[in-house]
Amino acid sequence: MAKSDDLAQIITNCKNDNAESFSQLVDIYARRCYGYFYRLTGNSVISDDLLSELFVKLVEKIGSYKGGSFEGWLFKIASNIFHDHLRSKQQEKKLLQTQENLFAAQLTKTKHSEGEQIDKLQMQIGRLDADTKELIILRFYSQLSFKEIAAIRSEPIGTTLSKLHRGLKQLRELME
Amino acid sequence: MNDQNHENLKDLFERFFKPEQAEEAANDVHKADQIFREHPAPGPSDKLILDIKAEIAEALSCRKARLLRKSLYYKAAAVAAAVIVLAAISIRLFEKETTESKSPATTASMMPKTIWEDDTVTTYGGTSAIIAAEIEEIEGEILALQLGENGGNEHINMMELETKLTEINGDFWKG
Repeated sequence: MAKSDDLAQIITNCKNDNAESFSQLVDIYARRCYGYFYRLTGNSVISDDLLSELFVKLVEKIGSYKGGSFEGWLFKIASNIFHDHLRSKQQEKKLLQTQENLFAAQLTKTKHSEGEQIDKLQMQIGRLDADTKELIILRFYSQLSFKEIAAIRSEPIGTTLSKLHRGLKQLRELME
Repeated sequence: MNDQNHENLKDLFERFFKPEQAEEAANDVHKADQIFREHPAPGPSDKLILDIKAEIAEALSCRKARLLRKSLYYKAAAVAAAVIVLAAISIRLFEKETTESKSPATTASMMPKTIWEDDTVTTYGGTSAIIAAEIEEIEGEILALQLGENGGNEHINMMELETKLTEINGDFWKG
């Protein structure tokens, strides 16, 4: 991980539209952000799209970053992108249901594209409710403190800890 | 007992849970971290990373071009505004000049008002009336001489009258 001084310098350069510095940010964060999207969606194609969208958004919004935890800011954008994706997916589902067409089956097929193996963690984490799942994944991939996670989720830290405690207990039981 | 996110989880959980619950929660977090490390998610492909970097470079060049266009528009607008203001000022000045040279009223107004109100004009009028009367008198005498009504010495009388006439003429031009 980049040292905070180095990261601050990279971000300053990014604010000056330096393409090389944006490339450095991609190198630093692409893997963690991709993991975050992959564990949330379980789909590499969708994760590819969301990751691309995240970095395009980063270019657009870098000027609005006013200091503080950069990871917190970045994962807040990532979380918003994921929620936008969920909303559009729900709309898509509704559309498919009302039209009762063949594409529904194809969509299910493409969910797990060719040769993609779902690991045990992906399967078990999918059994958790959406909110708890997102919380656990956000914590691991963002490496943010609970205080920062609570701030991203706009909820009191006690609520975040309680949800996490229940969710992790459930996940541990599922994985055993 | 710090975790990967550099937090003292036990202390943190103890603020919200009972001590035994707090310890259990902290342990669960550590176990979860371990499970995630043992089951790494796939990473993005090299092609995807290259595509993203290319997309960023394109977005940046588009943004630069957009900013450049914007600044050019602003400059052009500023120049156009300056030209319009200058043109407006020039037209107003030009109009003023032309109306000033054409209007008789304006020309008249250029003469000091005192001249029109000055009583000396009437005085001048009075002087000229006296002169005109004198001229008329001399003309009458000349006519009488020509008709021979002045008996004898016409040449001397004629000379006297001409001198008088020259004198009056000089007085007239002196004002």
